Amino acid sequence: MIIKILTDVRSRYDGYKSLTGSFDIACKLKSEIVILDFEAVQFFDANLCAILGAYIEIFKNNDNRVQISNLKNSIRTVFRKNAFLNEFDEEILDDIHSTSIKYRKFIPSDDHAFKNYVKTELLGKNDFPSHSLLLGQKIIENIFELYENARTHGQCDFIHTCGQYFPQHESKPLRFTIVDTGVNIKENVSAYLVKDIKSTDAIQWAIQKGNTTKSGSIPGGLGLDIIFQFIKLNNGKIQIVSSDGFWEYKNGYINTQMLDFSFRGTIANLEFNLNDNNHYHLSDEKYDMDVDNLF
Amino acid sequence: MSNTVKITDIINGDTAVSTSEGNSIYALINENLKNKRVVIVDFEGVKFLTTAFLNAALGQLYSNTYSSEFLNEHLKIRNVTKSNVSMFEIVITRAKEYFRDKDGFEGTADSSLYGK
Repeated sequence: MIIKILTDVRSRYDGYKSLTGSFDIACKLKSEIVILDFEAVQFFDANLCAILGAYIEIFKNNDNRVQISNLKNSIRTVFRKNAFLNEFDEEILDDIHSTSIKYRKFIPSDDHAFKNYVKTELLGKNDFPSHSLLLGQKIIENIFELYENARTHGQCDFIHTCGQYFPQHESKPLRFTIVDTGVNIKENVSAYLVKDIKSTDAIQWAIQKGNTTKSGSIPGGLGLDIIFQFIKLNNGKIQIVSSDGFWEYKNGYINTQMLDFSFRGTIANLEFNLNDNNHYHLSDEKYDMDVDNLF
Repeated sequence: MSNTVKITDIINGDTAVSTSEGNSIYALINENLKNKRVVIVDFEGVKFLTTAFLNAALGQLYSNTYSSEFLNEHLKIRNVTKSNVSMFEIVITRAKEYFRDKDGFEGTADSSLYGK
C-alpha cells in the first residue's frame, strides 16, 4: 500500500497533523508492503525522523515491510547524514557541518546507550554551545529528564530520538525529539484519575509541578515541570503530541489543539535557544550543602 | 563512624541521570541508615544530574519511617555544585509532599483540572 505524505513536515501543529493523518491507516495494515511516498514533500524537519522511526516500528510490529519512495535529494541527504536511512541500508553521509544529531532507537532498559549517544552527538559537537558551559549542561540535563520520563511512563519497547542544530540561525535553535509508542499521556492520566479526560487536558495536567501518575516508593511530578521552567527561561519551545492532543509552549503562551488522528504513544519535541545570554549561575565551585536543613 | 558513598564510583561516571542508578544509591544509603550509621553521599565529579535520579536516590528515603531529624543527623551530602543546589531542595520538598498524603493529590488534581 502506498502511503502519501501530503505536505511539508515541520515541527509545528500542521506537521504533526500531516504525519498522524498520513500514517493512521497504515497502522492498521498487517503483512503488507508499506511504501512511504514523499513525492509531495519539499521539506522535512530532520528531528522529526524520530516520529518516522516510531511509525516504522509500529508497521514492522504488524509484520509489514516498509519502503521509502520519491525522496527529494535534499531530504535524502539530510536523512543520510542523520543516519535515518541506515534503516533502509543507505550509507551514512559525513555530516561535515556537524549539525545532525543522529536518529537512534533505544531499548529502555539500556542506561548506557543513551548516555553515550548524548555525549557523542551533543557534547561532541564543536559549537555546542559556544559561549556557556552551564547552558550546555542544563540542556543536556533537560534531555535526560525527558528521556527518563519516556522510559518511566511509556512502558514501551523502543524510544526513538533525533535532533538537528541550526548554528547559522540567529537564535541558534537546537531541536531534539523523543518518541515512544507505549502508553500515552491520556491513557496514563485517565487511568490515574479514574476518568476519561481529553488528551490536551491530560498533557496540561502532566506538565504541572507535583502531578504524577506514579504511586510507588519513588516520588515523581518534577521532570516535565523542570523542563518547562528551563524552556521558559531559555525562550525555547516545547511541544507534546500524545493521543489526539497537541500541546505547545512558546513565547510565553500555551497553545493546545486537537488532531484529527491519534498518535498511540507520545512525541515530545524540545527546541533550545543556544544563543541564550541569560545569567545562569556561572560558578561551578563546589561547597558542602547546608545539610542541617536539607531533609 | 561513617561510610562514604561516592556517586561517581557507584555509577561509574559523571552522569547521574537515571532512576535505576538512583535506586542503587538509595540501596546503599538505606543499608547504612537501617543500621543507624552516618553516611556521607559525595557528589564530587558529577557533571549531569536529574530529578529522576535524585527522586530515586534521596526522595525515596521518605518511603521509610525515617524522620527529617534522623536524616539530617545521619545523612550528609557533600560537593554539590552551586547550580544544582536548588534541584536538591525541590526534590526533597516534593518527596515530603508526595508521601505526606498520596490520596490528597488525587483530590488536588481533580480540583485543578475540573474545579471540583
